[in-house]
Amino acid sequence: MAGANKRVELELTRRDLLKVAGAAAGSAAVAYTVTSGPLSPFAELRRRQQSGTDTPHEEARPIHWGMAIDLEKCIGCNYCTWACSAVNDVFPDKTWNIVVPERTPSGAGFFFSRPCLHCQEAPCVEVCPVQATWVREDGLVMMDYDRCIGCRYCEVACPYDARKFNWEEHTAENEFIPTWGIAEVERRPRGVVEKCTFCVQRIDRGLELGLTPGVDREATPACVNICPVGARTFGNLNDPASPVSRVIEDHPNLRLREDLGTEPSVYYIPPKEGL
Amino acid sequence: MSIVAPETTLPRRPLVGSPRRLAWMAFLLICLIVGGAAAYQVFTKGLVVTNLTDTVPWGLWITIDLSAIALGAGAFTLSAVVYVFRLSRFRSMVRLALLIGIIGYTSAMLTLLADIGRPDRFWHPWVYWNVHSVLWEITWAISLYLSVMLVEFAPVLAELSLFDRWPIVRRLAHLIHKATPALALVGMLISLIHQSSLGATYGILKARPIWFKPNMPILFILSAIAAGPAMTMTAAIILEWVTRRRTVPLDVLRTIARFSGLGLLGYAYVKLWDLAVVAYYGRTPGSESAFYFLNQLTPYGFGFWFGEVILGIVLPVLLFLAPGLNRSRSNLALGGVLAALGVAINRWNVTVSGLVVPLSYSPGTMYQPPAGVYWPSLAEWGIAVGVLGYALLVFTLGARVLPLFPRRSRDPLQPER
Repeated sequence: MAGANKRVELELTRRDLLKVAGAAAGSAAVAYTVTSGPLSPFAELRRRQQSGTDTPHEEARPIHWGMAIDLEKCIGCNYCTWACSAVNDVFPDKTWNIVVPERTPSGAGFFFSRPCLHCQEAPCVEVCPVQATWVREDGLVMMDYDRCIGCRYCEVACPYDARKFNWEEHTAENEFIPTWGIAEVERRPRGVVEKCTFCVQRIDRGLELGLTPGVDREATPACVNICPVGARTFGNLNDPASPVSRVIEDHPNLRLREDLGTEPSVYYIPPKEGL
Repeated sequence: MSIVAPETTLPRRPLVGSPRRLAWMAFLLICLIVGGAAAYQVFTKGLVVTNLTDTVPWGLWITIDLSAIALGAGAFTLSAVVYVFRLSRFRSMVRLALLIGIIGYTSAMLTLLADIGRPDRFWHPWVYWNVHSVLWEITWAISLYLSVMLVEFAPVLAELSLFDRWPIVRRLAHLIHKATPALALVGMLISLIHQSSLGATYGILKARPIWFKPNMPILFILSAIAAGPAMTMTAAIILEWVTRRRTVPLDVLRTIARFSGLGLLGYAYVKLWDLAVVAYYGRTPGSESAFYFLNQLTPYGFGFWFGEVILGIVLPVLLFLAPGLNRSRSNLALGGVLAALGVAINRWNVTVSGLVVPLSYSPGTMYQPPAGVYWPSLAEWGIAVGVLGYALLVFTLGARVLPLFPRRSRDPLQPER
């Protein structure tokens, strides 16, 4: 029975041939869609490489709001945090902006401050299950307090500790008002996440009035206006003539955790001792 | 015992009876009252009554969600085994597995309802889609899969004597029963996706060096596939002890235990390489300092080696696979409890350890955001007790009222022991 040299007849009908050809064509189509088609995970990368820019969305976008923070100038007075807390009605247990003493690797002291960095590839935006936070066309990372379900995944995902949750209803008076400013936005309800907005209310109203954010004070974030030493500059990163672009152009600068690829909109000018 | 009898109802049994049962019901009632009191606190005062902070925004409740869903994995595993892979010896376990799955998923949902800051907006993920978010995908998957389980379970409910008067219900149930293989297949696909996405919730976060790794979803799904069926097996044995009736043949229980044991070995294998790459060889600045921090300030090493590896893997593997040990029901049950405990400890370790490690983003050398400190508050424990009470109550009622183990086996090969 076990014929060692029994010949195996291979019979291919036309139907078999068609099947094989069909399968091959199908696999090729699938392979093409997956690797190079518009649906492929590499499509965005390829588009970026071809357009020659590193940052996505950067082409054909007239406005990208950004900030420069000069760590050499900062004196650690905390005015930015206080003005922010007054204007945005933020409570001291969860300030949107922080100022902390820091030290360079060579041991020189300086002050480090941090608003929300308004990342263009924001991890918080990626993880939000309800799109309560998103990157607006002008680069601002927006927050919809009416949509947020309070799951706090964005807080967990943010590499910069910029997001704060409303653990309780704040009914007390805000100690920063009116000394440091008047609240311009509504207080957030209990149970939602909040963060620095670059004073979006001022930007949007200022543009309506024909003002230039970063130049006209009424349209510029409170922290930038209040700074007694001019450590913070604001404006349109895509306009080479804006104050922020000029500062970045004239100084060595860095962004926080560039290695994470989050593309923050806040640039830091290191202290003169270097970082 | 292989007589095929017409679909009949079960005899009515009183809900309460012996002092033992009364005491058990009283215990469950106390659990529910504690949970209710805690829920009242949480819903009126907000999450300020928890010990969660902006540094550690997830804690005990997330651990419960993750564990309950992982331990409910017996439902999809055993459904797939019986209806997709056609191994009908395990048919007697499917209904129980489904009940445990339904209990696990609903417990997770109840806990989540307390955990989200705006429980009134629990429905938002269904309406406002962010298809990039793994959490959005998980929300959809657990809602869909719970529906699949409920539909799969509907024929069991239809056997209640309540529906004697409604033949239409029985006919519908029969139709659904015929569709079970399709449901089991869909359930398996959805489960394979979301059980791993739960790990991806952590694995995709590049800001956290000890989370950010592709093994995260794999570790989650392997542990769920291993511990889920073991949980169902344990529940079956416990039911046998309580009702003093042998319902599932020992060889079926043993086969499930062996499957779980092998699953745990697979889990251990991936865990070993994960440990080698991330902690032993990798030593990137981020993970190196994170592990140093954890070992200095928290019992992370003890929790990992004793809780996850010895209690959760080594002991259950021995109890499930050693031929001398896996012949006794109590050993199997002990192994199941340990495996479940190991999964819970793992989910806690992953969640809390990842969060207490301070982020590092300042360009200088001195400032670090505050390190997290976390131990659940009374209100958090209260919710946990309440959810446990709910789970045990549904289990008790289900076991009492529902025909979980069809007494007339359609499979003549299945011996009675």
